[in-house]
Amino acid sequence: MAQPQTSDTETSLIEQAQNGDRNAFGELVRRHYQGVVLVVYRMCGDTGLAEDATQEAFIRAWVNLPSYQPKGCLRNWLYRIAVNAAMDVLRRKPEEALEDEEVLMMPDQAAGPETVLIEKERATLLRQAIKSLPEAARSVLVLREYGGLSYQEIASVLDVPVGTVMSRLNYARNRLREILKGYLVNTESEHA
Amino acid sequence: MHEKTCTLLNAYLDGELHEQRLREMETHLASCAACQNELRELRLVSDLLQADTVPVFTPTERFVSQLTLSLPRRTLGKQLPKPNSPAWWLVPVGLLGAWFFVQTVFTLTDLVSAANLTGLLGHASGWLGGGAQESIWFSTATSLFSGQEAGAQPTLSLLNNVSVFGANLLSGFLWQAVIVLLYWAWLSIWWLGRGPRPMEMRNAS
Repeated sequence: MAQPQTSDTETSLIEQAQNGDRNAFGELVRRHYQGVVLVVYRMCGDTGLAEDATQEAFIRAWVNLPSYQPKGCLRNWLYRIAVNAAMDVLRRKPEEALEDEEVLMMPDQAAGPETVLIEKERATLLRQAIKSLPEAARSVLVLREYGGLSYQEIASVLDVPVGTVMSRLNYARNRLREILKGYLVNTESEHA
Repeated sequence: MHEKTCTLLNAYLDGELHEQRLREMETHLASCAACQNELRELRLVSDLLQADTVPVFTPTERFVSQLTLSLPRRTLGKQLPKPNSPAWWLVPVGLLGAWFFVQTVFTLTDLVSAANLTGLLGHASGWLGGGAQESIWFSTATSLFSGQEAGAQPTLSLLNNVSVFGANLLSGFLWQAVIVLLYWAWLSIWWLGRGPRPMEMRNAS
């Protein structure tokens, strides 16, 4: 599958940013912020950590931009930096992430409706399930499900063969299927 | 179910199978209830992941403003040519050229000195530098002991030759060390400037 090409405008912005133009880099950040923060959030499972990691990722991108070759896709290059930054932040502050999870798991008194609580519980379980995956499998799953990358692009971002991407994705989905078994049965009966 | 079939089911779900493999999978799915069930469950997992709510993050404009203020100064990129540019690759070529030049100069110097000492150059030794080189200590020792110990003169000359040879060797070594250090510096900058490192991988299964 062909990789998405960087547009001419973006190539021009990259060149300006490589020469030290902060406004051009700001425009690039504006274009890719939502995608990067979402991928990082799914890797971390915590809003605060995700924002820290996103900021760190864009700072790393700024520092490394002079060596970036505009031949590839900037989004994929940013995703690679973002995944690494998310891992680094998680390794530095694992206890903070756990605390945040506990807060998320507490029932919200003001929420009221039962469905909101069920949804919240499901969201928490989902985040925990994703976080319980090994880093390598989690990054493949997140890049596929939330980054929308093809197998070839994921292989390029993570520097692994496509076959490895496929086996890691298979492992990740099967693991999630086991963890979320109860919810899957309920969802299936809702759809039936 | 075989792991390979399950892996291909994921690829089918993600639209990553094409042409013959796609047709084969569709044919297989039409007759295999186990794979149909597997595919349905995989789709449910994927749907569940997609349906998860997204929290509210810092608005884009505010994030960009904060980030722009915290960007570090970049100095290295402006002073040095970019790795992989033609100018960048000229550096090791230049260093190799310098190494050859230094080696040639020192080899030729040694050969001329040796030829001069053995008298092979004959009358040409006059314009080549006025005879054998002398160390400072040798000149001092010769002036101090001139006429007193005629037998010591050959020994002193030999020591002088060894001293001159050692000095030349050390000088050659220092030049080569400088070139090697410059090459290492170039290699280090190239290594650091390659961009973000590939992700550290851990086995998924």
